[in-house]
Parts: sequence; structure tokens; C-alpha cells
Amino acid sequence: MPFDLRFWVNGKEVRIEVEPDETLLWVLRERLQMTGTKVGCEAGDCGACTVLLDGRPVTSCLLLAPKAHGRSVVTIEGLGSPKRLHPLQQAFIDYGALQCGFCGPGMLLSAAALLAQNPHPTEAEVREAIAGNLCRCTGYQKIVQAILAASQRALREEIP
Amino acid sequence: MALPYFVPTSVQEAVDILAHYSGDAKVIAGGTDLVVRMREGVLRPAALVDIERIPSLSFISLEDHRLRIGATTTISTILESSEVQRCAPVLSEAARRMGAVQLRNRATIGGNLASAVPSADMAPPLLVLGALVHITGPSGERALPIDAFFIGPHQSALRPDEVLTFVDVPVLESGSGAAFVKFGKRSAQVIAVVNAAAWVRVQGGRIEEARIALGAVAPTPIRARSAEALLRGQEIRGELLEWAAHAAAEEARPITDFRGTLEYRRELCRVLVRRALEQALHRAMEGE
Repeated sequence: MPFDLRFWVNGKEVRIEVEPDETLLWVLRERLQMTGTKVGCEAGDCGACTVLLDGRPVTSCLLLAPKAHGRSVVTIEGLGSPKRLHPLQQAFIDYGALQCGFCGPGMLLSAAALLAQNPHPTEAEVREAIAGNLCRCTGYQKIVQAILAASQRALREEIP
Repeated sequence: MALPYFVPTSVQEAVDILAHYSGDAKVIAGGTDLVVRMREGVLRPAALVDIERIPSLSFISLEDHRLRIGATTTISTILESSEVQRCAPVLSEAARRMGAVQLRNRATIGGNLASAVPSADMAPPLLVLGALVHITGPSGERALPIDAFFIGPHQSALRPDEVLTFVDVPVLESGSGAAFVKFGKRSAQVIAVVNAAAWVRVQGGRIEEARIALGAVAPTPIRARSAEALLRGQEIRGELLEWAAHAAAEEARPITDFRGTLEYRRELCRVLVRRALEQALHRAMEGE
């Protein structure tokens, strides 16, 4: 019994027939060839597969595809563009917040959701927001610095 | 083989589908537990019944001094709710310690109970608050005290053709207080080694009534009733809380696994129950 899935990916409407026990992670990577979203633990523990569902971070490995029906999904492909990076992406580069890069897509989306809701978080709030994203390289320090710097830059830009 | 997937829009429709599959279909809410168990091959349901789109199951309401929380209300929604914070702050406290953002955005209060894992973080606070679990099945609706809900690991009083619809707790009164504490190997995204909740009602320096619950130390979340009995009617003094904490640890039936040994868990019970009681008492006396 295929499921007629209709949803929005990075603002574009997508219609696709899926098996109901396929995960959103699988649909994004294998059906839509959007491989920015990473496959990590596939148990909801590591956060590498994080996407935004109606603006909120979720682990796409635990989200059955029908759950996305009628909803909006943002993946790392929808954050900034090669010509115009998202301020968080620029800050991650400036602070060396990526080493192997595998946690990057999920980490950036968790951070983007935080700043959208709370533009000037404290360090504790940043750490809380990325607690569900594991990074095995950086020790988190540079990631936290980069997110705080992005929020500070936004603050400066607001001041005329 | 393709898995039949149903998206009912009413509880009655969900119950009808479950009845049609005579117990072989599974209800899916947030899916944070179910999808993992299906992937591990532990669960092989004949069909899935997705209750997330049933509007009447997602709500937080306040009526006649009772706080009601619909089954598919997410842990994030509970955490962000000012009504929960005001009327049952111990639930906000437990919600804050569950998983991380991604999990809290999907996991639901009904799912946390229906999965019936011994470590469920929402269970100890609901046990000490004396929650009622409301259930709808083919023969109608019933309300079950949460003390009778958990039966064993992954086993509850919820029958396969029933849907958990909401939980119902009394609003915190002045002179009473509750607290939740959890010990895990990290501060976020962990299954508790031990979790505990306490609720007390005090008057004039005396504990009128006390309830204590523990998780991850028995086949189900449990009440520590002999510890509660030690506290009931007692004047708050000296080593009273320590005695109760000790009694609660003796009542626990922990096992050794990769998260902790039996002995370690028993010691944690003592420490966590003491901390939960101290905090609950402090909050009760503040509001007395």
C-alpha cells in the first residue's frame, strides 16, 4: 500500500509515492538524491540526520515518511547557498567549527532553529540546543563559539 | 511486503482499525521508540495506525482543578506550556530532562507511557501526582489510575485495540510540592540509570501525605510505599528523610546492566529519593 506523499522540501512542493515504513531520511537521500542529510546511528541518538520539520529540529531517521505529509521540511541544502552562505555557515568556517564535517548539516540546522526562535542565546542555551547533535572531532568549543559569533554578528547588523 | 498505514482523524476510527486487525496493528504517535524497535526487528506490526493527526488528542486543558494533557502532546509542547509550569511544574521538570531537542519535538506523553519502559521519564512524576490514564477502546472509555497501568517491560494495561487518549492530574495545591531527579551518564539524550520523583503535602511542620516513585530499578516504574508510610504524619526533623530514602532503596529491585550495577543503582535510589524529597519539601513549604 504505497503512500502518496506530498510535502515541501526547502520551499518546493514534492509529490512522491513512498512505502509507509520508509523514513524521511531515506526518502531525502535515496529518492530525492539530497545527500546533505547524513546517515549516522539510525536510532535517534547522534543527530547527523537532523532536518527541520515545520521549523523544528527532528531526527529524520526516526520519522516515517507519511509523518511529513502536508508539512514543510528544511534540509542543509535549503540553508544559505554557495554564493550567499547563511551567517551560521560563514561563522562555522571562520571559527573552524568543522573538521570531518559529518555532524555539520545537523549541527547547523539545530543552530539555525535556535537562532530563529532565540536570536541572542546564552552559551548555556546554545549547548542545550545542540545537545542532540554529536560531534566526534571538535570538542564542541568551536561550534559553540561559532554559533555565539553568528548571533553577535546579527546583533551588530541590527544596529544602524 | 508493504505495510498498511492508516491515518485516522478520530479516536473511534483508530479503534475500529485496531479492532479490525485484532490486536496485530500498532499505534504510532511520535515514533521515537516504535521506529527503533521496528528497525531492530523486535516489533513486526501487521499495520500502523498513526494517531498524530487526530485533533482531539493534542491539547493541554485546565478544568475543575484538573490538568489534562492529550496523548499526542509532544514533550516540547509540555516543556513550553505555562499552564503545565504553573499547575504541575514537576512535569515540566521531567520534560526538560528527556532526550534532546529533536526527540522532545517528536516524543509524546502518551507514547512515553504506552511504550511502558521501566526508565520512562514522565512516569515517576505522573505516579506521584496520582494521574489518571484515560483510554478508549471498542467497549468505550475508561480511566485507570496510573498505579495500575504498568505491568512489565513493554507491557501495560493498554490493550492492543485501545488508544490512550489523555492523562489527567490534579493541580498542585498550596502546601504541596513535587520534584523530579534523574541520573544518567550524560546530562542530555540518555536513558536514566535511575530516575525518581517525590510529592509531599505539609502542614505546620508535619508531612501529611507523601508519594515517592522510582524508574529503571524494577520491571516497571514503581511506588516506594514503605518509604511513603514512614513519612506519613511525621514531624519534619532529624534523619527522617534519610530513613525514607533508605527504605525506598530497599524497596527497589534493580538489575545489573551496562548502565549500572544492581548495587550502584540501589545507592542511586537512596541519593535521588533524598534529593527529590528535600526539593519537594522545600517547594511545599514555600507555598504553604
